Amino acid sequence: MDEAAVKLKLKEWIVERSKIPVIDGQFSYDTNIIEEGYLSSLDIVEFILYIESLLGDELDMEELEPEMFTSTNTMYDTFFATV
Amino acid sequence: MSEPRPLIAGFLASATQFPDRPALSIQSDQWTYADLHQRASDITHTISAHAEAGFPDLVGVFGHRSVAAFSGVVSALLGGGAYVPLNPTFPSERTLQMVERAALTWIVAEREALADLLQILQSVSRPVSIIVPDFLPEDGSISLPEGCGQHRLIGAEDLLSQGLVGLPDIDSDQLAYLLFTSGSTGIPKGVKVKQSNVAAFVDVMVERYGVNENDRLSQTFDLTFDLSAFDMFVAWERGACVCCPTLGEKMLPAKYVKSQALTIWFSVPSTAIMMKRLRMLKPDSYPTLRYSLFCGEALPLDVTEAFQLSAPDSIVENLYGPTELTIACTLYRYNQKTTAGESQLGVVPIGYPYPNMTVLIVDETLHEVAVGEAGELLMTGPQLSAGYWQDEEKTAAAFVVPPGKNEVFYRTGDRVKQVSDKAPLLYLGRVDNQIKVQGYRVELGEIEAVLRDVAQADIAIAIGYPEGIEGAEGIIAFVSPSAIADKQVSAAAAEHLPGYMQPRDLIRVEEFPLNANGKVDRRALLNSYVKQGG
Repeated sequence: MDEAAVKLKLKEWIVERSKIPVIDGQFSYDTNIIEEGYLSSLDIVEFILYIESLLGDELDMEELEPEMFTSTNTMYDTFFATV
Repeated sequence: MSEPRPLIAGFLASATQFPDRPALSIQSDQWTYADLHQRASDITHTISAHAEAGFPDLVGVFGHRSVAAFSGVVSALLGGGAYVPLNPTFPSERTLQMVERAALTWIVAEREALADLLQILQSVSRPVSIIVPDFLPEDGSISLPEGCGQHRLIGAEDLLSQGLVGLPDIDSDQLAYLLFTSGSTGIPKGVKVKQSNVAAFVDVMVERYGVNENDRLSQTFDLTFDLSAFDMFVAWERGACVCCPTLGEKMLPAKYVKSQALTIWFSVPSTAIMMKRLRMLKPDSYPTLRYSLFCGEALPLDVTEAFQLSAPDSIVENLYGPTELTIACTLYRYNQKTTAGESQLGVVPIGYPYPNMTVLIVDETLHEVAVGEAGELLMTGPQLSAGYWQDEEKTAAAFVVPPGKNEVFYRTGDRVKQVSDKAPLLYLGRVDNQIKVQGYRVELGEIEAVLRDVAQADIAIAIGYPEGIEGAEGIIAFVSPSAIADKQVSAAAAEHLPGYMQPRDLIRVEEFPLNANGKVDRRALLNSYVKQGG
């Protein structure tokens, strides 16, 4: 999967899960998904599991830092860019 | 009769004995007992100076995990009053309701939440004084927006610093907090919990867990969840530190336990379940924990076993209790050898009543059942709260004197069973439409009432889904057709219901399946939803 496809999948997951509407004009790949209220910390748990399924591999929980989940871009850069 | 002991006495004793030990830790900041005592005292003095009719009975606290919020809690108790926790993450409508029902005239708010609070207070005509202890002079001038002219704002500059406040005088009925919980008819119920109730609970806990000044307690519960009263008052009674997680630590609890070197963990089972799914319960992960405590939802056996292995030096316990019986009123100690045999349906028992609390298991006529039979759990004792705020009808319905008894018992609405005389109590489910979602108590009736109202529909059925033995992860709703569009219904519901109560899916149903009693067949509704790939 290329960068655009991965980011779209991440965004789709957020749209599916978010309790507040995801409006194209307001949501970008740089939007802070927790601070802006799209996802809660409990949602991040499920998101981690989804990312693992996209990667086809387990993440090392010890290495995880909250900042990695700030936005779609940070998640792409952290987990997918080096793949 | 001896003078009633104020709940804040423990905090004050710790402030005298351990003034320089940490009372509160948030992010990388820490506040000592002396510091917290001073901050709270300033607020108490300020309120006393301005309140013409004497210190108010109730002080609202609008904050999350901030020193302002915790100072607000302590300041209310130092003044001889009670606190009313409010939550910045709740919809404005709900907060407004709580402010009006409690007729609050004083609220301590954190700066970050001030704008939201002022917006809510525009609809309140009764003058409210808002203390924002973390609004510093360098933040600019503090001013009221349009529509808030009747209110008063007091920032850090205007706080009166007149030394430390000592032990207040209270009477035996004095409340500690007024906490609103989900109400089945759509209106939240305000539970009146007395200082004597909380003191009785705290006394049992500090003794049982040998809490001391070296302990570091987790703080995973919002102030609007009564389990937060354990975090604060059990810690402060013995000079321990309340350790708040950062937003990031909430996402990754493993980091939280380790970086804060917690000694006592207390959370809903959902957090432990989450940790297990994320492979954060590897053996020996949490050597600093002395106690691992869970409350708020049914506790799965497999998760308990995993948590014990991850925190091998801790004693794992399952606590149970409705808000009306003050935080928790039964408990069960996990035992690697015997718990599996005592558990049923993969769920750990809720165990035995707290010392001084009495259990009664009854049938529908409130008569005691024979040992081994299932029935509704009723309890009484020093942790029995004072009933519902300004609602004698609901209080009378839930706080009853069973036939043949002389005391008032609280009807928990939980079905339990003891397989034999000395066996621990097993939780079997509810007798009504109350469920747990992520540990929060949810009356499905409340969601249904809101939906019928905002959708202008005749029928609304809310169901917890997906279901686990530990409760539901979320809510789905079935609503009869109406002129209001689905999107509008969801948006309007979000203005009345906290996140965990908002339906994740809204399905329109022309004809609702009915059971033999003529009531909507919820099971049938759910089955067809699941079948259609819901």
